[in-house]
Formats: sequence, structure tokens, C-alpha cells
Amino acid sequence: MIIVENLYKRYQTTHGPSRWILEDVSFVIPKNVSVGILGKNGAGKSTLLRLIGGIDKPNRGHVERRCRVSWPMGYGGLQPSLTGRQNAKFLCRVHGHEDDIPEKLAYIQDFAELGNYFDEPVRTYSSGMKGRLQFGMSLAFKFDVYISDEATSAGDASFRQKASDAFKNLIGQSSLIMTAHGDGALKQFCTAGIWLDKGRVHWFDDLDDAVKAYKNSIGQ
Amino acid sequence: MTNSSNVRTRTPLAVTLSVWKALFLRETITRLSAARGAAVWLLLEPILHTTVMLVIFTVIRVKVVSGIDVLAWLIIGLTFISVYKRTASQVQGAIGANRSLFAYRQVKPVDSLLVRAFLEGFLALIIILITCAGAVFLFDVDLIPDDAGLVLSGFLGLWLMGLGFGLVCSVAVELIPEMGKIIGMLSMPIMMTSGSILPINSISEPYRTWMLYNPLVHGLEVARLGVSSYYHVITGTNLLYLYQCAFVAIFLGLALQVRFATKILTQ
Repeated sequence: MIIVENLYKRYQTTHGPSRWILEDVSFVIPKNVSVGILGKNGAGKSTLLRLIGGIDKPNRGHVERRCRVSWPMGYGGLQPSLTGRQNAKFLCRVHGHEDDIPEKLAYIQDFAELGNYFDEPVRTYSSGMKGRLQFGMSLAFKFDVYISDEATSAGDASFRQKASDAFKNLIGQSSLIMTAHGDGALKQFCTAGIWLDKGRVHWFDDLDDAVKAYKNSIGQ
Repeated sequence: MTNSSNVRTRTPLAVTLSVWKALFLRETITRLSAARGAAVWLLLEPILHTTVMLVIFTVIRVKVVSGIDVLAWLIIGLTFISVYKRTASQVQGAIGANRSLFAYRQVKPVDSLLVRAFLEGFLALIIILITCAGAVFLFDVDLIPDDAGLVLSGFLGLWLMGLGFGLVCSVAVELIPEMGKIIGMLSMPIMMTSGSILPINSISEPYRTWMLYNPLVHGLEVARLGVSSYYHVITGTNLLYLYQCAFVAIFLGLALQVRFATKILTQ
């Protein structure tokens, strides 16, 4: 369960504080419910995911995580000067998996399908390759909730299929909080929906209603 | 964050220690292998620097500084000042260099600062040992310390000062990027008045006393005295002053880290 209470967030810009990206946002994500987040570009989807993931702090309000929550996959987490393998090792150590590094590395290497690039610096990767590595890295660890920032759109068609299969395997034991281009991926994995609009959050128990509300707002 | 029952819970200390270990290995790899010949340059830099200064001192016909051989005086001055200089500059840049890793909740900006300082001190110690051993065996320079404890306390003081200055600067640079330019400008006068390349004894009063306000002077003087008991230490040298400055800077730096933790993370 994740409890979000009276969350306010805005950023500091060179011209002073920005408008409120999120304004008085409250909702509860129950256990084992996967949520799709919808909203226009710049509506605050990534900001919300970063706040839920705990890598950014709200100006006011708080987020309570009563379960193990992944870092927002697809959002940073890779050191460009290190190779894919070194990044993966770093992650294992940070998460206290010093003992089973070989198994984790084997899983990540196999999942990401990077070939020889696994031992090349991450700065030489294309964005699709980075996405695949990040995807493999997060799936190598057991979390109750995975936060995915358009991670399903990484890579080519065959990788996307693999990613969606991996996501489907998670359903039941873990849940997802995700954003994605297009509602296809969301409908595949999520039951509930959040529509972000003008700094406000609208919670829908049924994802279809969230999609409808979102599409109405953009005039489709 | 409370954990679900099926997952083992780590204590906060265990998490921090594993983060430090991971960061230490990550920093070591980049420091020693990122640029071409990075490890070689680490050693070559102080040697070349010493050579250049030695040529200049030879041209102006200085053979002895404050009672010890000019080469010994230079080697200690240049290698020990870089303990401070490298630690400060590496710590100052740590947050920017590790920003992408803050995507993991466990990794805090202050972790990257402390780990970098530790690595830099460790590398500086190795560089000093290799450089001095080379000078002793190849050029018969008298660098075997008469009082190793004094040398070590000078080293430690300079390292702590670098850590403190770096901690303060890292916050300053993150919050006000323009501060980087000002800190860069400051480093020149700090070096010039530290007595690493310019013998302070050659400066007349009252300016000599003024230079003693630079805490680095005290660390270098004590290190030189530790190497050779014949060294004429500048009157007014006080190692305690260096340590006091270092601890004030570290305290201020850590306080700034706590105060601006959110801002550093958020940008």
C-alpha cells in the first residue's frame, strides 16, 4: 500500500519558483493494484513517479510506502562512464545482494540482450539499449511495487514483447505504477488509473474511465 | 519504509555500509581507468611538477631551503599540498558526478562526498609513498622520516582540511553554480601562501605572520619537520590551528549538507 497525502510540488527555476506541478494531491494505492498514470506532456507524471519512488522530495505533504518500492526504472540510475556490467554490480551491492552477484548479472545480461555492449561504457549505448538494461536491472530484484516510466516503450518490437511478458509474470506477486505512450500498454497491465490535470489528481478505480476522462480533456 | 514480511530487512547501518562499498568501487574504477592512462598520470603529475619547480630553483641557485635539501623540501611540499587540493576538488565535484546514481533511494549525496574523500586520501598516501621511495632510491634524497608520527599528523590534517573545504564547496556549487568560478580563483592565492612552492621564510615580516593564517602552512611545515629534524620550522607553526580549521569546515560542510539535502536532490 502506498499512501500519498496532501502532496505539493514545484521546482525552482532561474525566474523563481515554477507553478505548482502537483497541488494538494492525495490518494491511496491499495496492495496489488496496478495503476496507469495518464496526462499531457508536462502534466507531472514523471514528477509524481519520482516522488513515489522517494528520489525527490515534495515541498509539502508526504508519501508513505508500506511495501518495497523499486526506483523509477527508466529514470537515471546508470553511470555513463561505467560499463553495463559495472552498473549492474553497483546496483547489486547497493541492494545488499553482494553474495549472489553472479546470478543477478547472468539474469540481467540475459534479459537485456546487449551482447558485447554489456562490457562497454553506458555512454556508448543508444536510448533503446539503456532502456533494456534498466529494465533488466529492475526485474532482477524482487519488489512489491515496480515504478515504470515508459519502460515498456524501450527497445524494438521483440523486446517490447519480452518486457510485457515479464510484466505479466509479475502480476499477482507484485504490482506496477506506470506511465506509457498510448493506452494499449496501460490497459494490458493496469486496472486502476490516475489522470493528472492542472496539478490535480483524479483517481479512477477503473482504468477505462481514466482513459475516457483523459481523452475528453484533449478533445478526442 | 516498512518492509513486507517475506523480505529480509537490513539495518540502516548495513545499507549505508553497502552503499559506501559500492560507491568506493565505482569511484575507484572511474578514477583509475576512465581517462587514458589515468593511473599513470596520477603518479606522473607530482613528478613532473616537482621537476619543473626543481629546474626553476636550480636556475635561481637555491640548493637548501630552511636547512633541508631543496628537492626534499619540494617533494614534501608538492605531494602534501595535493592531498588537500585533490581531496577538496574531488569532493566538490562528487555530487554532480554521481547525480544519476541518486535514482536509488539508498544512495545519498553525502555518501558520495565521504567516499570520494576517503578514496582521494588513500590514493594520495600511495602516491606519496611511491614518489618518496623513488626519490630515496634513485636520487638519494633524504626522505626517510625522523618522526613518522608528525608526518602522518600533517597528512591527516591536510586531508581533513580538504574534506571540510570540499564539503562546503560542494553545496555552494550545487546551489550557486557561479561559485565554482570564485572557488577556482581562490585556489591560486591559497596555493601561493601555503608555502608549498614559495618558501615562507624568504618573506619579510609582517607579511610572513599574515601567511600563517593559511591553515595549510601548518600542515606542510609539520610534515617537513617530521621528515627532517634539522628543518627550521617557521616560528608560529601550530598544528592544532590546522585541525581546528578543518573541524570547523567539516562541521559547517555537514550542516550545509543536512540543511540543503532536499535542494541538492531536487536541483
